[in-house]
Amino acid sequence: MTVQEFFRKIFFIEILKGLSLTLSRLFTKPVTRRYPKQKRPAALGFRGLHALVRNPATGDVKCVGCGLCAAICPSRCIYIYTSEGPEHQKIVDRYEIEVLRCVYCAFCVEACPFGAIVLTPHYEYANYRREDFYMTKEKLLENWDKYMGDKGLDYFDKFWNPKSSHFTTPEGQAVWRHKDG
Amino acid sequence: MNIFEYSIFEYFLKPGSFDVLVNIIIILVKIAIVLGVVMFHVAYATYFERKTIGRMQVRMGPMEVGPHGLLQPIADMLKLFFKEDIIPEKADKTIFYIAPIVSLMAAMSSLAVIPFYKDFAVANINIGLLFILAMSSLGSYGIILSGWSSDSKYAFLGGLRSSAQVLSYEIAMALSLVGVMMMAGSLNMNEIVKAQAEYPTGLYLIPQIIGFFVFVVAALAETNRTPFDLPEAESELVAGYFVEYSGMRFALFYVAEYVGMIIMGCLAATCYFGGWTIPWYIIKILPFLKYVPGVVWFTLKVYFVVFCYYWIRATVPRYRYDQLMSIGWKLLIPLALANIAITGIIKVMVK
Repeated sequence: MTVQEFFRKIFFIEILKGLSLTLSRLFTKPVTRRYPKQKRPAALGFRGLHALVRNPATGDVKCVGCGLCAAICPSRCIYIYTSEGPEHQKIVDRYEIEVLRCVYCAFCVEACPFGAIVLTPHYEYANYRREDFYMTKEKLLENWDKYMGDKGLDYFDKFWNPKSSHFTTPEGQAVWRHKDG
Repeated sequence: MNIFEYSIFEYFLKPGSFDVLVNIIIILVKIAIVLGVVMFHVAYATYFERKTIGRMQVRMGPMEVGPHGLLQPIADMLKLFFKEDIIPEKADKTIFYIAPIVSLMAAMSSLAVIPFYKDFAVANINIGLLFILAMSSLGSYGIILSGWSSDSKYAFLGGLRSSAQVLSYEIAMALSLVGVMMMAGSLNMNEIVKAQAEYPTGLYLIPQIIGFFVFVVAALAETNRTPFDLPEAESELVAGYFVEYSGMRFALFYVAEYVGMIIMGCLAATCYFGGWTIPWYIIKILPFLKYVPGVVWFTLKVYFVVFCYYWIRATVPRYRYDQLMSIGWKLLIPLALANIAITGIIKVMVK
């Protein structure tokens, strides 16, 4: 045992170091986000509650009922029922999503050739009733108005068709920033 | 004289007994003051602990009830008061009922001899220090009884661990305080403080630094606090000796633990930090400080010790059981004995 080790042992240098660390932390600002009062904005492309895009021209869904989303869905939670209209066009009668079975992979959003379905950044939809998680077409359109509305175009533009100017780190995200920039 | 014919009222009606009555009323008022103040401090000690440890872990601690969570202790108290009181089916009911009361009684009765201010102690007895040592070890009865009567392996193990721990550490603590007794020449807490005020350094912390170190470690172990909280090690024993307790009985244990902590704080303040006095050289530099009432200095010293408890809890992980025993028997007791020897030699030489 060297003299240094002896002193370390006698004066509990390790424990004193620990005590000084905790004391210094006492005077720092807490990192806590007080969640329900202080909400963190979701990043672009956040995969939250589902919505169907409302076509501004017709006021109805953009969806044409091709069924690609239902086909690619890994948990098979999308149900589409279509019928033939007077001019032999396809009419989407019902478009339903069982939200509780969804795994939020956003394959449906990727698969959709018309950009008709999105996952909104809304994530606070806990509920006591299972029925409320069964989304019908009307509910899904309502979701679009409520949570995407004016942000919708931004979402498709920046997230699904991004330009180089869009590749910046969101303000609230914890990243390692290099000293130079 | 037949004892049955002698009622207590007749005793007070005799001439000269009025003083006794006044004394009893004074003592009752003192008890009420001390109990009220200490219970308030216990309630806010829990808040202060959660807040301090929270901030040390870069969290916020309680924030929701009242401004900055200031009403949290009251909310906790109400919750515990209205909780269902569950008693295990196979528990030894009588002992199960008695155990928390024993625990609390042992902790609370130590408060009687502590001088919060000059000559303000509920009972200014000549064996004050001995009384506190006796009572703090009596507290382990409550723990053992609760552990045994709960009919739970976790509780029983917690109780056993606590008994072994308290037994081994109270030796070290008593020996560490012997140095103070030798320097003050008294076991009376008032006398100890007065002797400190007359001492050149104004407090016994400087000459008794070894004793103080032993005392602090032993006090941590005695009150079952981290890093010696093996009796209530959450990761191994769920909650230790009070696993089976709920509601108000659980609250009694909780209060007893915090009162024990405050007692240790008071003991450290009285025996090492000079109680209600401050060193004379500080008064010489800052003369206006002598107008501050002594009880302020006393409480500040107690707060400091209690803060150190939390500080250590936020920092040091729990010791293993064999480490605990080897620290107690191989390090603290020899250190305390050496401290006694050195103190004695120096005292004789100075004389």
